Amino acid sequence: MFVSDEDLMMKCRKGDMSAFELLVRRYQNPLINYIHRSVNDYHRAEDLSQETFLRVFKSANRYEPTASFKSWLYTIATNLCRNEVRNRSRRNTYYLEDLVEEGEDVYHTDIMRDTRYMPDVLLEKKEQRQIIRKAFAQLPENQRVALTLVTYQDLRYEEVSEILGCSVGAVKALIHRARQKMKKLLIKAGIGEENINAKI
Amino acid sequence: MRKYKNTEFPHSHNSACEAQIASRDELSAYIDKELPAWKRYLIQQHLKKCRACAGYVQRLQKTDTFLRQSGEVEVSTDFLAGVLTRVSETTQHQRQQASLWSRVVQRLVPGLETSPRRWFRHVSILAYKLRQNIQTRSPIYIFALTFCVFTMVGVTLYPSRSDRFGQSAHAWKKSDAMHNEKLISFEVIRRDPPKRLLTTALQQK
Repeated sequence: MFVSDEDLMMKCRKGDMSAFELLVRRYQNPLINYIHRSVNDYHRAEDLSQETFLRVFKSANRYEPTASFKSWLYTIATNLCRNEVRNRSRRNTYYLEDLVEEGEDVYHTDIMRDTRYMPDVLLEKKEQRQIIRKAFAQLPENQRVALTLVTYQDLRYEEVSEILGCSVGAVKALIHRARQKMKKLLIKAGIGEENINAKI
Repeated sequence: MRKYKNTEFPHSHNSACEAQIASRDELSAYIDKELPAWKRYLIQQHLKKCRACAGYVQRLQKTDTFLRQSGEVEVSTDFLAGVLTRVSETTQHQRQQASLWSRVVQRLVPGLETSPRRWFRHVSILAYKLRQNIQTRSPIYIFALTFCVFTMVGVTLYPSRSDRFGQSAHAWKKSDAMHNEKLISFEVIRRDPPKRLLTTALQQK
């Protein structure tokens, strides 16, 4: 039987750890991916995801079932990502993934791995992923958050508007601008419209 | 809202389409299925006729599909265990803090409610109610607030006698007694006939 997130959260509020565990299992994958797209560092993304779940647990008493759990969770994660990016720029810290030059392939996960014998398809996908990630990093913060939430987390515009604290109309405009800018950036990175079409 | 120039996006559907059924934002929302049914139907019908708009939507869809291919990272197997460990650590720490606090309170005031969280909750609820009542201009709270303000002004402008002289009650009694003595002596002086009257009487004699 499927139990809704809100019901699980109410159980968690009463101290049911199994309900909390189920929530973590449900959202660990999308949450890490969302944070990873924002901070561009896997280990930091894992830390921040753990921190997000910890905050959810701590503030379970304050949770009201009127609010959607999903948007509440992503609001916490978005705030943590914003803090992380702000602190990073203050400390002038760069992660290895950010320092990757165009065309190079030096993921920190790949340092120990010999990529010479990897299939071409994998390499191509990796390259493609890298280009998309770089293009995402160039978007303004609100546009990036809105587009990530809609494209990868499958959130509704209404939920995104709750997370960003703006109207649904504003989200509509943000998504559209983000898509247009992404298209321009991808064309600039060498993936023209024809290439996009060909790849699809 | 910021408006882009037409030159910024050369593939703008508005440049070719004159029907203006939907804005560009709405076409973007159309591919996300975020429009009401009637609007979706209108756009669907329009896309069948208008090649410019159909091309624009197709391009948006292709960009979106391309972005979705970016792949996902795998979650490590010990992630869940890590979260649960951190949660249990926090719970333990909270319990320790609560028990320390309850021990202190019990020693200070035996029999008192020892949950600080509950006290804090009561205080916060009271503060919230007070704030809400003031915001809604409840007559009782407005009266209470006015009374408080007037009392404070009154106390400031007309301080009590002890406050005025900065003396304790005991010292005030003493000074009051001395003051009475002075008054008595003053009365004695006043009862004496004035010198001027005495001299006139002597002159009459």
